[in-house]
Amino acid sequence: MSQVELVLFLESAVRLGIPLALAAMGETLTERSGVINIGLEGSIIAGALGGALGALAFEGAGLGIIAGAMAGLFVALIFAVFAISLGADQIITGTAVTIGGLGMTGAIYQAQFGATGTELSLPTLAPVAIPGLSEIPIVGTAFFAQAPTAYLAYVMAPIAWYVIFRTAWGLELRATGEAPAAAEAAGVRVRRVRFVATLFGGAMAGIAGAHLALAHAGTFAENMSAGKGFIAIAVVVLGRWNPVLVLFAALFFGAASALQFFLQALGFDIAYQIFLALPYVLTLAALAGWVGTSRAPAALALPWEPHR
Amino acid sequence: MSVPLVRLRGIERWFGRVRALAGASLELHAGEVHGVIGSNGAGKSTLLNVLGGLLAPDGGTIEIAGAPTAIGSPRDAWSHGIGLVHQHFTLVPALTVRENLALGLRGRSFQEIDQIVDVTIEQTGLWVPLDAPVRSIGVGDRQRTEILKTLLRDPKLLVLDEPTAVLTPEEVDGLFTLLRTLAREGKAVALVAHKLDEVLAVSDRLTVLRTGETVLSAQRSDVSVRGLVAAMVGDGVADEIAVGVYRKDRPGSSGGAHGNPKGDETTAGVADAAPLVGRVVDVHDDALVDVTLEVHAGEVLGVAGVEGNGQHELALVLSGRRAPIAGQAHVPEEVAFIPQDRQREGLVVDFDLTENVALALSRLDRFGTGALMPWEDLEKEAERIRTRFDVAAPSTETLAGALSGGNQQRVIIGRELALGAPMLVAENPTRGLDVAAAAYVHGELTRLASEGLAIVLISTDLDEVLGLADRVVVMTRGRAVDVPESERSREGVGALMLSGGAEAT
Repeated sequence: MSQVELVLFLESAVRLGIPLALAAMGETLTERSGVINIGLEGSIIAGALGGALGALAFEGAGLGIIAGAMAGLFVALIFAVFAISLGADQIITGTAVTIGGLGMTGAIYQAQFGATGTELSLPTLAPVAIPGLSEIPIVGTAFFAQAPTAYLAYVMAPIAWYVIFRTAWGLELRATGEAPAAAEAAGVRVRRVRFVATLFGGAMAGIAGAHLALAHAGTFAENMSAGKGFIAIAVVVLGRWNPVLVLFAALFFGAASALQFFLQALGFDIAYQIFLALPYVLTLAALAGWVGTSRAPAALALPWEPHR
Repeated sequence: MSVPLVRLRGIERWFGRVRALAGASLELHAGEVHGVIGSNGAGKSTLLNVLGGLLAPDGGTIEIAGAPTAIGSPRDAWSHGIGLVHQHFTLVPALTVRENLALGLRGRSFQEIDQIVDVTIEQTGLWVPLDAPVRSIGVGDRQRTEILKTLLRDPKLLVLDEPTAVLTPEEVDGLFTLLRTLAREGKAVALVAHKLDEVLAVSDRLTVLRTGETVLSAQRSDVSVRGLVAAMVGDGVADEIAVGVYRKDRPGSSGGAHGNPKGDETTAGVADAAPLVGRVVDVHDDALVDVTLEVHAGEVLGVAGVEGNGQHELALVLSGRRAPIAGQAHVPEEVAFIPQDRQREGLVVDFDLTENVALALSRLDRFGTGALMPWEDLEKEAERIRTRFDVAAPSTETLAGALSGGNQQRVIIGRELALGAPMLVAENPTRGLDVAAAAYVHGELTRLASEGLAIVLISTDLDEVLGLADRVVVMTRGRAVDVPESERSREGVGALMLSGGAEAT
């Protein structure tokens, strides 16, 4: 790989990793509270459509990102009402929310822009090069000439880490995910903490979706989330529920996806489906091997009802 | 006397069909240590959980400083200055001790919390490894952490549920000194402990609960140990029904029947004549210390003792469900087992009777060795058990969870006997049953012994053990102490339970 190719590879690795990082960062907090939101995919696709519609309506990609966050949060709200307030099974609720989200966004898109999928042209979120940092050889442009949402992911990692491990709310969050009964006995409002963490996760997934539409594609397409919600959940596991590690895990997955394109471009004479499968195979390998020793929050996926 | 800090009156609480509290009352005063005692299932923990806001009462009134109050949640309890130290730990294993302490002091900065923690540790002598994760520390440290966590919030009333169970005697002394100091400083302290001598040592005032009711409340100086024990176990006629009747009719006890000579009541007579069925020698385990026991055909070996003195571990070893860490356990390959928790260990409540029967019996040769479940045969077996043991269920398709405790126990007994095992281990087999159901179980145990089954009856109900057993041992701090015939009375065994066997050796 020449230096130019390497730069291109890194640049696309980061670009592909960023939406995963955003969604996984939110999901990390959600899972720390004892909720596994399988509906993350639903929030991402809603965020993509919300971002697209928002950017059109407000004539600006920045406001589109905010609209995307709102859409993702709204989908997470539906999940939270069922899975947290009503104590429904998280896996089943999340699956329903994902399927529903993919279906609804497709329907809305077709109603709005026609079944043929008129090519939708959106205001895009242009890359912003950070003076100084972006001039570092090789890695500079890859990491520091990205869309502003990338910088959000970089900044969120240490902030989320600080919140989880160094603040009183983070303590309550972890206690809620590890031993809700103990948290409740200490006066923590378990369901409220879970609600907040889940809505935050939904908003972050919405931003990830809006990033896909506004920074990557410049358009919306049905099912454009393409399983990123599920990969983000794997990223959380790979990152051991630690936001900083999660950022690196997301970039690792981004690299795997980028590698897929590069191997194809370099003309390896192998069926392209094999390359397409690469990130997913790596997901399984990572989950099976490296993560073997890590431990999920003890109360993950267990509904909580105050016993009285 | 002054207005009590907290007054509970006529408190009722049901768990499904079980009435755990039937009009219990309790008055707690500032400046006093108040001991709450009672035998197992008397409702002590339930009452304290009502006080701590963990359980809502189904009836009765709660007054705090004279004003009627509802305690709707642990948060509510705290707003009234009630701090509960739980029997079951409420620490988060993945967090450090310091983080767990901080969790109890929400709304302050971590620096402030560290300061409060340091000062409180200094004052109370509750030294704990602050930066170790709770999962890595011992039970004594966990208990100290629980207490510290509650004290940090400066409660007006400190409620402790069985705090001494996991502490060493020196630690218990330290804790009691602390409780006395807290009372002197004007706090109210309520304490449940099942070791009577401990409660007596520290309390100013005592309340005795029996089957969910308050039967006695008095100053420590006004009551005798004997009076308290009588109040705890109850010596009314009703309590004797369950045990006494079957004892008198017992066919084996007049000697000779079914080849089980037990004409005289001496321990030696039985031990020598009947074949040995189960034997453990010098067994050591987590909660067992050098236990040696023999069980013979046709006898009921009663194992008495306060809960948590190794009985459960002994039950597991005797029933072949656990290999001891050291020592030998010679038990039959198949041992019938009546576990103490019917709904968790005994039955699958969401399975019907046939399925529950199949779970235990399908591995028997008579149900074939193929891969397919012989459902028809198992159904017949379930039906046989249902009619033979008078299970009040319309059919074998009734879910086990829909049955009353007594009927669940009939299903378990029927199923376990169908194993055809030479030995039966029963652990608190009548816990939670009403008098009639308990009497049925007692009758069955007696009948089975007379038919030659070797029975180990492990029970915290002293009357049950004394009424049914041919020989009695007391479990105390993991040791099994033989009770000589002359000591086989409520007072005698009670004394052995309390003394930790010191007088017996």
